[in-house]
Amino acid sequence: MKPAAGRRLKPGLRPGLSPRWRLWLLQVLAPLLAILFGALVASVIILFIGKDPLAVYGLMLRFSLTRPDSIASILFKATPLIFAGLAVAMSFRAALWNIGVEGQYYVGALCAALVAFGVKGLPVVVHLPLTLLAAVAGGMAWALLPIVLKLRRGAHEVITTIMMNHIAAAVLLYLLADVLRDPAQAGTPRVRTPVFEPTALVPSLRPLLDAVGFRIPGYSSLNWLLPAGLLLAGLLYLFLTRTRFGYEVRAVALNPDAAEAAGIRIARVQFLMFLLSGGIAGLVGLNDVLGFFGYLDIDFPKGLGFLGISVALLAKNNPLGVILAALLIGFLDRGAQGVQVFAGVPREVITILQAVIILAIVVAYELLTRYVRVLRKREAERAAPPAAPSGTLAAAAPGGPGPGGGG
Amino acid sequence: METLASLFSLALLASAVRLTVPVLLAALGAVFSERGGVINIGLEGIMIMGTFFGAVGTYYGGPVVGLLAAVAAGVVFSAVHGLLAITLRVDQIISGVVLNMLAVGLARFLNIMLFGVATQSPGIRGFTPLSIPVLRDIPALKPIAAGISPLIPLALALVVAGHWVLVRTTFGLRLRAVGENPLAADTVGVNVFLMRYLGVLISGALAGMAGAYLSIEQGRGYLEGMTQGRGFIALAAMIFGNWWPVGALGASALFGYFDALSLRVVALNVPYQFLNVLPHIVTILVLAGFVRRARPPAADGIPYAKEEQG
Repeated sequence: MKPAAGRRLKPGLRPGLSPRWRLWLLQVLAPLLAILFGALVASVIILFIGKDPLAVYGLMLRFSLTRPDSIASILFKATPLIFAGLAVAMSFRAALWNIGVEGQYYVGALCAALVAFGVKGLPVVVHLPLTLLAAVAGGMAWALLPIVLKLRRGAHEVITTIMMNHIAAAVLLYLLADVLRDPAQAGTPRVRTPVFEPTALVPSLRPLLDAVGFRIPGYSSLNWLLPAGLLLAGLLYLFLTRTRFGYEVRAVALNPDAAEAAGIRIARVQFLMFLLSGGIAGLVGLNDVLGFFGYLDIDFPKGLGFLGISVALLAKNNPLGVILAALLIGFLDRGAQGVQVFAGVPREVITILQAVIILAIVVAYELLTRYVRVLRKREAERAAPPAAPSGTLAAAAPGGPGPGGGG
Repeated sequence: METLASLFSLALLASAVRLTVPVLLAALGAVFSERGGVINIGLEGIMIMGTFFGAVGTYYGGPVVGLLAAVAAGVVFSAVHGLLAITLRVDQIISGVVLNMLAVGLARFLNIMLFGVATQSPGIRGFTPLSIPVLRDIPALKPIAAGISPLIPLALALVVAGHWVLVRTTFGLRLRAVGENPLAADTVGVNVFLMRYLGVLISGALAGMAGAYLSIEQGRGYLEGMTQGRGFIALAAMIFGNWWPVGALGASALFGYFDALSLRVVALNVPYQFLNVLPHIVTILVLAGFVRRARPPAADGIPYAKEEQG
């Protein structure tokens, strides 16, 4: 089901494998098993409503993967999820909980909109980057307060970011309805900004796709934010694995005490990673706002920040994994439309499937992490009597302290 | 002058009380969960389940059945949180976030199965309202003396009972011990897992009841999104109330008052959105220690693993 990873399923778990390989195999198997488990649970529901699960899944696969319009739709849907997943993953990597990606991308979209319709007469090469920069700045600004309060005053970021989400929604509603509303729409039920300048819009990917011979339907809004997201994921992967700062981030997440003893300034690392998270979050809404609508409407797509949490969890905070996870969610979303229209199965079944997959994966990773801990302990005991520091698996989910703790 | 008077009118007060109850019930639940050391971000999802099953139960068997159905649904749903967060030791925040997602999909799906549409149930009749015998005959007092939902006195009674349980009973003492120092509690023979499960299940029951109040008493039916983030506001009220039931009552009442005010703020020249976010702003200030020091249970949010100690 997961497009790229399916091929790796073949080699069985043989008892003779070395621990290193067994671990690698388990890492790959965990998400696949979670998807399988989710599919099983959804099968029960599908049987319950009197349909054939295999037929439904078959239809879902065929509908999502064999039609060019489906492929385009999956890619379009996955684009903001890549940004959202990366944003969440960057905070999780630094043992911080940015539940506030939702609010940060509202503010990012708002700032981008201000520049997109408010600034006139610039060439594309200046206006578009300026608009993107405004979005990043907006997302960062909204992330600033929670991280400062966390590091300076010990305020738990889970609660403060949730609160900031609600405040962002209220600010957006107020500004769109009372301040920025397009005067031309007065008297209509539409609450939206004036139409953006064309120089601020993200260009379509169509010319490029036409050139390579991949035809997407005329209404598809697939745009350059998709390659931008892929590039960002690649850069973040290199940044985390190949740079000194990336090493410091890993040290902070793995063992804060040891990191501090080694001279790493934890607060600085966490501050920068949280702002990075917020900055990326600022870009989440642009796929729809700059790539599709061309104005900011009060009904622009919401909830992408929370989906970003799912994406990051599925990907285990690995930037490259985020791409696969975002595609999976995009695939499920498109498949849900397919089964609803052609099999009469409510698309909510797929929403439930998605939630069960996430639940299963979280449990699977947790059990895996514990298994690794046991393995390490056993290895350490065999090698030398004095116990090694009890580290968890490198990219394990962060264990944040309780509210009010730290600081 | 008229504006000022409207800020304290009895009608406003009655509306504030009505808006206080759902937040209060869920906040009371949050107190029990976190006193035992388990953060329950999933309260919003549990409340959604409560609104849905409250409406379904009432539709088929009247408000009492509805209330019980909502409580049962809350307990079952929170048991999933317990299983994940306590037994499997999955991170509590993650477990809660995922439960919230699951609840939205589940409520929509079940609503389609039962009523054919995704977002709302048919209208229902709530509890017979109470009224206070003598006071209801005085016209000026009518807004607060008549048309009282029986769940309002029930909620207040639960606050008093909850406080008593936490402070005076062995169970309350053990629950708090488990939230402050599970290892110490374990050494003196307290069953940490059982206590934590009970805390979480109580929070589920109360959050389910909070949802039932919304759909049975306020909405007269289930409507998607009718919780409007009140599960999160309840967490805020719990924090503002310093993890105590009576404190949660005070905070919920304040938030309920803001909420009621925002509905009739036309006279005030303040954007109503500003009043809507006051609880959120207050919560941030409290957490940052600007209002007074927030003091959560010491082991709040930390999973307890018996075999890894010592």
